[in-house]
Amino acid sequence: MALLPWKRMSRESAGQSSGFEDLALPLLPALYNLAHWLTRDPGDAEDLVQETYLKALRGFGGFAEGTNFKAWIFRILRNTYLTSVTGLAAVRTVALEEELREEGDQTPNYPEGVIDRQTPELQLIRLNDSAAVQRAMEKLPQPLLEVILLCDVEEMKYKDIATTLEIPIGTVMSRVSRARRTMRDMLQNDIRLHREVRP
Amino acid sequence: MSDHLSSIELNRLADGELSPEQLAAAQQHLEGCPACTSQALAESLMKRTVARAGHRYVVPVDLAERLKRRSVAIAPPSPAPASQSTRRIAFAGWATAAVILLASVLLLSRGVRDPDGPLVAEVSDMHIATLAANQPPQVVSSDRHTVKPWFQGKLPFSFNLPSTLPADVVLEGANLTYLGNQPVAQLIYSIGRHRASVFLRQHHGARNPVQAGTEYSGFHVAAFSTNGLDGVAISDVDPGRLRELANLLEQAQSTPHP
Repeated sequence: MALLPWKRMSRESAGQSSGFEDLALPLLPALYNLAHWLTRDPGDAEDLVQETYLKALRGFGGFAEGTNFKAWIFRILRNTYLTSVTGLAAVRTVALEEELREEGDQTPNYPEGVIDRQTPELQLIRLNDSAAVQRAMEKLPQPLLEVILLCDVEEMKYKDIATTLEIPIGTVMSRVSRARRTMRDMLQNDIRLHREVRP
Repeated sequence: MSDHLSSIELNRLADGELSPEQLAAAQQHLEGCPACTSQALAESLMKRTVARAGHRYVVPVDLAERLKRRSVAIAPPSPAPASQSTRRIAFAGWATAAVILLASVLLLSRGVRDPDGPLVAEVSDMHIATLAANQPPQVVSSDRHTVKPWFQGKLPFSFNLPSTLPADVVLEGANLTYLGNQPVAQLIYSIGRHRASVFLRQHHGARNPVQAGTEYSGFHVAAFSTNGLDGVAISDVDPGRLRELANLLEQAQSTPHP
């Protein structure tokens, strides 16, 4: 059945809208979770998600079909955050990039016997303590936090993380490595502090 | 591979990012290197822990609806064409069906997506952390008239504590803590030589998400819902004793506030 032009247009519009919502709405919990981690405030997180959603909706024409929609919309969220007041403030306080570049991929190998295995049982207990892990995550610099949120929480592949963060894949690798090392150090310090407070 | 695995290689291994050849070489090295095996395990453990702790914030229930309302005013441009004309024709034919399907999916996903899904895991983590920390509770008292008022202004709800307890059950104190980003009361009891935590929080959803008689990581879990409260008790004590404590707390909620 041939459709009248105005009816065809209206149906096309409904189909496109549904296409965007089909892709975007299932990602809402993940977008909100990441936004809340970045902004550290529920109201700011909601604003960030709303702005991201509307920007993505308007820019849906720029999304190349067949590419990774999740990486695309997460990149919009992250860029929106970086240009927000809280994002700019966070970026100003982090001078990590140069440090990371200097360190590059030259993270040392672990010689036998040097690895910190002094308190594996305490480490295991600490890893079971979600609150302690979340506290440690809160203290991570933003470039390290966002990379492990995308890698571990969102289970994104390195190449998609690189697309989202607009950084080389080598930088993703070194940040993941550094983030986990920093987390481990913070959790171990946490344990030491607990032991010192309570002899 | 004679050298030890680098930190980056160990993390790529944990993240499943090594090529088949690299993976084979890494596995061969790990077979003969306890230090790298230990470190590989630590990286995997850290990844799993972060994944669990990172799912922290629950999207507000009405946000999707608000976004949909706002997006109605904006007609989205179509995505960059791969086979745009074919896609348009397909969408034109199925537009109405798609809208209905989307509405059904949204309704269904609201029902299915249960923010309390990992509740038992979280409760178990909290209880283990309490046992492992070996620290006194935030309020240390066996007196219910001390413990209950301590929560005033800290929780958006009130609760009752049982006036009498079995002979070997003692209230040790309580903590203010958080489950699923909500403030909850964690009551700590000793039952003989065992310790039990009872978490009380505002009623959430149609029923208490914890099923009766649940076991998790070797702990027994008992749950109840009453008077606008959900309660979850966890301990390694005999499940009958734990149920008894949960029943006492449940009954206490229906007695007038002292």
